[in-house]
Amino acid sequence: MDRTELLKKIQRHPRPVIVEFWAPWCTPCKVMEPALKQVAKEFQGKVDLWRYNADEHPELVRDLRVMGIPTLLGFNAQGEIFRRTGALPLAGLREAFTAALEGKKPEKHLSALERALRAGAGIALIIAGISLQTNWILMGLGGIVLFSAVYDRCPIVQAIKPRLEALFKKG
Amino acid sequence: MSNWINESGLDRVIRVIVGLVLLVLGWGGIVTGTLGTVFKILGFVPLLTGLIGFCPAYALFKFRTNKA
Repeated sequence: MDRTELLKKIQRHPRPVIVEFWAPWCTPCKVMEPALKQVAKEFQGKVDLWRYNADEHPELVRDLRVMGIPTLLGFNAQGEIFRRTGALPLAGLREAFTAALEGKKPEKHLSALERALRAGAGIALIIAGISLQTNWILMGLGGIVLFSAVYDRCPIVQAIKPRLEALFKKG
Repeated sequence: MSNWINESGLDRVIRVIVGLVLLVLGWGGIVTGTLGTVFKILGFVPLLTGLIGFCPAYALFKFRTNKA
């Protein structure tokens, strides 16, 4: 099967489709598999899951430019909606299926490493700013970096975000 | 993992630490003069690339320290 055949198959399909590329030797795929099957069951009749062994479909992997496995691609009749490479937790999988159902990209969340790095760097800058004769530039910079670690959980950002998105869409 | 991230976890931690040290040395007034000014500006590069996880220089040379 190649990309054209797959896209035709998806266009004819009555429901949105999540295409997963996996491999028997891929450990993250095995880790994600139970959660993926659970979420696929939850969305039964709304979103379908099509699983392709990357080793058996190299032409499809090449045509769709799949750069790593596991990769999830969300499709509806209009085409590709999103793609996610790497194992996703249960919540991330639910978001991906919901996004396919609604025809929009799932929201990206900061990873634990990203959050820790930003928080650590922000706190370090603030401490350095306080220690070095109350350096306001370092403290301000630290505040910005620290906020970037939690911005997605900030109620003000959450309230403003849809309005900003709507504004940019209009523009 | 997003496709555009081309730095490993260790790479990012090292960049953030280097960036912090340079910024503190520069903006904190520990290093002054031309070198201090260089640190003030240059410190942002490793800090930002480390926090974001994307290095434009790596992308230019099609190099990455994380797994694709």
